Amino acid sequence: MNFTSDVVIGLEIHVQLNTVTKLFCRCPTVAQEPNSATCPVCLGHPGSKPVLNKVALEKSTMIALAIGCAINPSMQFSRKTYFYPDMSKNYQITQFELPLAEHGNVTLDDGKVVRVKRVHMEEDPAALVHQGSADYTLVDYNRSGMPLVEIVTEPDMTTPDEAREFIKKLMHIISYLKVFDDANGIIKADANVSIKESGYTRVEIKNITGAKEIERALIVEVQRQHGSIKSGENIVQETRGWDPAVGMTRSQRKKETEDDYGYIIDPDLPTITMSKDRVEQLRALVPELGGEKATRLTQQYKIDAVDASVMAKERELGELFERVAQHVDPVLAARWMRRELRRALAAAGKDVSEVDEKLLVELLQLIDKKTITDRIGQRLVDRLVQEGISPAKVVKEEGLAAVSDESAITTVVKQVVDANPAVVAQYKAGEEKAFNFLVGQSMKALKGKGSPAVINKILKVVLG
Amino acid sequence: MIELRRYVKEVSQGEHDVVDIARKALASAKSIDKEHAYFNTFADERFIEEANAKPKGRLAGVAISVKDCVCVKGVESTAGSDILRGYKPLFDATAVERVWKQGGMIIGKTSQDEFGFGGFSVNIGKGYRVPKNPFDTNRSCGGSSGGAAGMTRKAEFPHLAIGESTGGSITCPAAFCGVVGFCPTYGRVSRWGLIDYANSLDKIGSMAKNVRDAALLIEVMAGSDPQDSTCSDLPVEQFSTVDGDIKGLRVGIIKEAFGEGVDPAVAESVKNATRELEAKGAIIKEISLPLNAKYGIPTYYLIAMCEASTNLAKYGGMRYGAHEKLEGDFNTYFTKVRTAHFGDEAKRRLMLGTFARMAGYRDAYYLRALKLRSALIDEYKSAFKGVDVLASPTMPMVAPTFDEISKLTPLQNYMADILTVGPNVAGLPHISVPVSPAHRMPVGIQLVADHFKESTLVRTGVNLE
Repeated sequence: MNFTSDVVIGLEIHVQLNTVTKLFCRCPTVAQEPNSATCPVCLGHPGSKPVLNKVALEKSTMIALAIGCAINPSMQFSRKTYFYPDMSKNYQITQFELPLAEHGNVTLDDGKVVRVKRVHMEEDPAALVHQGSADYTLVDYNRSGMPLVEIVTEPDMTTPDEAREFIKKLMHIISYLKVFDDANGIIKADANVSIKESGYTRVEIKNITGAKEIERALIVEVQRQHGSIKSGENIVQETRGWDPAVGMTRSQRKKETEDDYGYIIDPDLPTITMSKDRVEQLRALVPELGGEKATRLTQQYKIDAVDASVMAKERELGELFERVAQHVDPVLAARWMRRELRRALAAAGKDVSEVDEKLLVELLQLIDKKTITDRIGQRLVDRLVQEGISPAKVVKEEGLAAVSDESAITTVVKQVVDANPAVVAQYKAGEEKAFNFLVGQSMKALKGKGSPAVINKILKVVLG
Repeated sequence: MIELRRYVKEVSQGEHDVVDIARKALASAKSIDKEHAYFNTFADERFIEEANAKPKGRLAGVAISVKDCVCVKGVESTAGSDILRGYKPLFDATAVERVWKQGGMIIGKTSQDEFGFGGFSVNIGKGYRVPKNPFDTNRSCGGSSGGAAGMTRKAEFPHLAIGESTGGSITCPAAFCGVVGFCPTYGRVSRWGLIDYANSLDKIGSMAKNVRDAALLIEVMAGSDPQDSTCSDLPVEQFSTVDGDIKGLRVGIIKEAFGEGVDPAVAESVKNATRELEAKGAIIKEISLPLNAKYGIPTYYLIAMCEASTNLAKYGGMRYGAHEKLEGDFNTYFTKVRTAHFGDEAKRRLMLGTFARMAGYRDAYYLRALKLRSALIDEYKSAFKGVDVLASPTMPMVAPTFDEISKLTPLQNYMADILTVGPNVAGLPHISVPVSPAHRMPVGIQLVADHFKESTLVRTGVNLE
């Protein structure tokens, strides 16, 4: 390949799918005690055989489709053999010759396209649990056989910042597809990094966990390579490990040639064929992704661009918005849902899925028709989220309807003015803050039911 | 001796004291084993327990011996390898479970070449015994299901054997021991619980004193199994009871299987058997399978060794089987365990299999063998357009003496499988049926049918009994 940029970066991202069971057995993917979610298959017992988890295949296919890959009409699993204590069989079931999908891409904000070479499925090995300074290491097989999707890019990124943006975009897509456990799921990466000054000698950094760490490791590695060149050292083709505790990469092994894993087709797993129809069915399940959706929402509902981007980013909120917008002014709904509903949900520690759609429509209609003031509306959003109250009922029972009678408001405003002669004097001396204080006092006296606009107008008249 | 299917019926009707029969069978098997070494392990406790449980079903009260590579829950199952010494599976193989559900009683685990790596049952694991031919203890039982075949010949009690074939490990010992060996289509019987040799070739099958009994055991074990992705969903035919009408059945005599390298006395016995079939109405044709004759052996050994070398990677003393003192790093430890506990033939196949799949050699050996395999299957498929059954000697010789075997080079050893590897590589059902002896030793005719045509083999085979 003919590189010209100062830095060249390629990524292999491993994403753990949120299936209920492991990739080749029925063990649960969530477990408390070490080695409790194990069976003869994921322990590699003699005589056990793998059976592919179909849901994992579907979820992986959706990821591949969402990043524009072509799905291979037939695919196979292969055995990648190497000896390591975290491997229950001393081979890993992965895809080699015929992966799930190839030739996708992800577009960055500045329009740059990062090509995706291939997407394939594989099982995770067990976890080695090191015991500090002890002279032994334990193995937790709960992780053995966990479903992973590996996304391999072409070496298209030229800065650590681009790599971070790529991962961010990819994670956004994956979280949108609901195929990844955002809270507990793990994302790992191997990165290839090279710089112009070394003639693009490839250094591979293995096993970096988390999006932030990936960027950090890349920055550090680029600095290291530049530093080496400056001090007259050669960059050699090697594999380095990332140590997040000290923020350094360390050489693990130098290699003259590529690894040789002696791949064979896994004879326990028949070739999987994926018909065009099946691919189209799965494609239909791939939801509209963030970027396109924000544009559509702005155009279709004429809502604010910021509101639209939030509705697009948070998939369930966006879906709720589109249902609610059938019954309420979309502009108002979007504004209230982005600001007030999300605030109330965060305060209550609840999820959008817990919101009663009918009650939300009811509340937004009350606000839209100015039956209640914004301030009452805000209070009711919290009560709706926390207690699931019916806004219409509460407004009626507790007398929270906005006071629309201007004479009633005038009476209250006059009382406030009479009771605060000193403040009125300040206002007349030109202090704006004094006016705001009087508005606030009037609102308070009206228990939030007076429209601030009406109060403003009347107060100005009363104060002359 | 009582006919097996009549015995099963009588057991179901409560006409036999099964526990007493089981006790005597166990004692008899142990005394046979002393001289002939047919068992690696006896399942005394489980066997008597099953007899006590008033067995019912299609195999009620029948003692079932299980080749050591097929897992039996709680009973040491090692595939004849020292590296699995002490390993007691947590589950029954599907085949074993189905047999047990039909009243079969598991008597023990029969001896074999380590992991199935051989045709004479002499490549046994360290510390195991070589099974002796039931007709002449100076001769081999054949292999790798040697113990299963010998026990089937010698058992004087109702008994059937679960065998396993990768490249001929059922029909070869059946021919050498004078019993019927029945290897079904690949995928007909679930491999769940079979300790892998070469997964794309491994098939669980049966051995019995006659064709219908062997077919009955296959019938019980066969059928779809969600635990084995390669197991067929096709319904299981009742092929053990098909008629023996072979009028118009087209039998293809494989030309290459009667020529150079085949003992003329063996060839003559088999030719005579085909004349019997002709006399009963079959149409005999000669057919040539040149690709299989030329490429069968290398194709089989390359695929089998490549797969085997990955299957055996898991044995390193981590969680089960043989362990060694923990010293040095993991690489040192794995190497120590594997060096100490694998036999010579296992090591040879591990090295050859690893070599043939490494970058630089993979295209020339492993991938080429896969392509050849398709060509060999195609050759069979076109042959079956003109014939219903293919016939040949099962083995090119009678059971050799141990002295003769010790003089064979590894290559000569592998060449002995020339007639059995074809149907195994192609996943075709095949059966060995005893015909007239040669040199006072048993001879088998090997019949091969198209995929899932087990019934054709039974229909043909019963005419030779």
